[in-house]
Amino acid sequence: MAEINFTKLLVHLVVLVDVVLLHVAYATYFERKVIGHMQMRMGPTRVGPMGLLQPIADGIKLFFKEDIIPAAADRPLFYAAPIICLVAMLSCLAVLPFDPNHVLADLNIGLIFIFAMSSLASYGVVLAGWASNSKYSFLGGMRSMSQVISYEIAMGLSLVGVMMMTGSLNLGQIVAAQAASPFGIYAIPQFIGFFVFVVSMLAETNRVPFDLPEAETELVAGYCTEYSGIRFSLFFMAEYIGMIVMASIGTICFLGGWNGPFTVPYVPFFWFLLKIYAIMFFFFWVRATLPRYRYDQLMDLGWKFLIPLALANILLTGLMKTVLE
Amino acid sequence: MISLSQLLFAYLATAITGLALLAVNARNPVHSVLLVLAMFFHMAGLYLTLNAEFLAAVQIIVYAGAILVLYLFVVFLVNLKEEIRVKRFVVSQHYAILLAIGLCVLLVSNMDSFALGISGPWTIEAIQQTTHIKALGRELFTTYLLPFEITGLILLVAVIGGLVLAREDKATTKGNSDDENAETKGVHQ
Amino acid sequence: MIVKHKKKRNLLETIFLVEILKGMGLTLRRMFSKPVTCQYPTEKRQPSLGFRGKHALVRNPHTQGSKCVACLRCVTICPSQCISIRFHQDEENGPRLLDSYEIEALRCIYCGYCAEVCPVNAILLTESYEYSSYDRQSIFFDQEKLLANWDEFMDQGNHNPHTYVNPFWRPRGCDIKGLAAPRRKAVPEEWTREGQIVGRKHKAAASPAPPEQGAKQ
Repeated sequence: MAEINFTKLLVHLVVLVDVVLLHVAYATYFERKVIGHMQMRMGPTRVGPMGLLQPIADGIKLFFKEDIIPAAADRPLFYAAPIICLVAMLSCLAVLPFDPNHVLADLNIGLIFIFAMSSLASYGVVLAGWASNSKYSFLGGMRSMSQVISYEIAMGLSLVGVMMMTGSLNLGQIVAAQAASPFGIYAIPQFIGFFVFVVSMLAETNRVPFDLPEAETELVAGYCTEYSGIRFSLFFMAEYIGMIVMASIGTICFLGGWNGPFTVPYVPFFWFLLKIYAIMFFFFWVRATLPRYRYDQLMDLGWKFLIPLALANILLTGLMKTVLE
Repeated sequence: MISLSQLLFAYLATAITGLALLAVNARNPVHSVLLVLAMFFHMAGLYLTLNAEFLAAVQIIVYAGAILVLYLFVVFLVNLKEEIRVKRFVVSQHYAILLAIGLCVLLVSNMDSFALGISGPWTIEAIQQTTHIKALGRELFTTYLLPFEITGLILLVAVIGGLVLAREDKATTKGNSDDENAETKGVHQ
Repeated sequence: MIVKHKKKRNLLETIFLVEILKGMGLTLRRMFSKPVTCQYPTEKRQPSLGFRGKHALVRNPHTQGSKCVACLRCVTICPSQCISIRFHQDEENGPRLLDSYEIEALRCIYCGYCAEVCPVNAILLTESYEYSSYDRQSIFFDQEKLLANWDEFMDQGNHNPHTYVNPFWRPRGCDIKGLAAPRRKAVPEEWTREGQIVGRKHKAAASPAPPEQGAKQ
């Protein structure tokens, strides 16, 4: 009995990781196409029809590139950093409900678990920065660390409103409660929370306009300056999985998860995937539009604006809840 | 017969002790912080075996995700590559070892007097029924309201203290950009 | 110069991030516009008039050699000194006879001065720009190669060897009477546009300045 469950779990795990990594690969293609067209370019067109094999080619190239380790690097940490990043991000996937029947681990503290794991990912980044023994990497790592800590608070607080309305931290139950709510999605009653979530989502994943940890113009490539080949691609994958995880949280907590205006037969995860890709498109769209924030502006925005706003949202939600009941 | 959970406990306990010792003995402060991080993970695992999943998650978020990161900040800012070797504080290492062994013997000899506390209304089943967070919240805001509020007050004092320190800093040295960091620390600790 | 100050945001615009939304709207609109990409190796770009590319010596249709008279003006004016000429004279005060004409194209800065000063329209910079190579030898042009470059340029079929006039053979803003006889050939109409006349004096004398310039001053 236990053994059967174990093999089933393993198969589920392998399929999940593979599917997500494929999505990561094609998210890069999607990003390059979207940003290309927004800048009136074409994006990848050469490898395969419409450049569709470009991610595969990139993967092969990165895999076979030389793995350079700086002489002054702290080797064990240098090796461990990208793995910490990737593992932390991959383990977030376990609690995400893609449709009512597909969730690897149906935890009661799903949301908190994701926070815990994404805060760990910042360790990978900061250790990469330190272990590389290069000033660019180090500055990138430090920036990333302070940014992630600051915005995690705002993000956690923005989701408290959702927790209050649902009364649960189980992601499946959040979606179910949302379907039963008058609007069907929490983005409307929780619009302040949604706004705070979206901004801190961008900051948490180190995306433009908050991409200070890897600001090309100042820091070469930030914390992954000294990384090359497959180790660099692990960081890259971690970043994109992070984006997918954040998009999933947004979908689950604010946009109604797998529920849609009508049910699509045979593809229960259709709406979930669509919403994730809508949010991913938003990531790329913002990247194509906005310039980078200055560091002190970033901190001001996080501490002086988003956190008070999220706290006000909690207060408002509590008030509304007591008034309505 | 040793059950699986006992085996798990044995592993976690030895890992916690071993990692703590390694963290104390590590030459490199960053490695030391990382060993503490691994130790926190094992502690979270220990909480999981006790059905305290919320506590496990909070352990990771607060200790690993926030406090330890701030330690890391400090270690980075001080920029110690290797431990500075200074003369021992105590005259001889032997006294310290003797003291530690004595303490250990004292603790082990009193093992029998450890007794299980009275089990309250929250059995595992009850907690699973009302979910962990609800149970925790209800207890915190009813039975333990006073201690909770006192803790809140103490933290508020710490926050205000941090803010005051940061402001004073601003008045003396104009435009110091470190005041945000000071605020961060104030809120976390 | 007129400095246009941006209108100050009002509170509502700040709260609803109107400016960011405007920017996002712009990028979204651009997403559905046609890309400006030129797919280079498959789709070649037409060089504009006055493009300075690969060097060539014009082949004289009568002698099949070059038109160069070894006056050394190009050698003298070349800022990077990449042209070298060797010649001899059979008799004193006789015509100079060219022995070799070499251009080290890797040192060339493509200023086009050599073509501008040449009194007999012998040298030019063609419109061909695809001549990168894996070795230095093939980008070191001697007389044969330079003549071959001319043949190649003519074989591309866009120009007639008898009527072709390189724009640099008659520099803009030059009085036609001051030029040597072979250089008085008509250049394309576009090239002699008055607005493009070089030099301060010519600009002042030429047609009134365009309106947007006037507004700025």
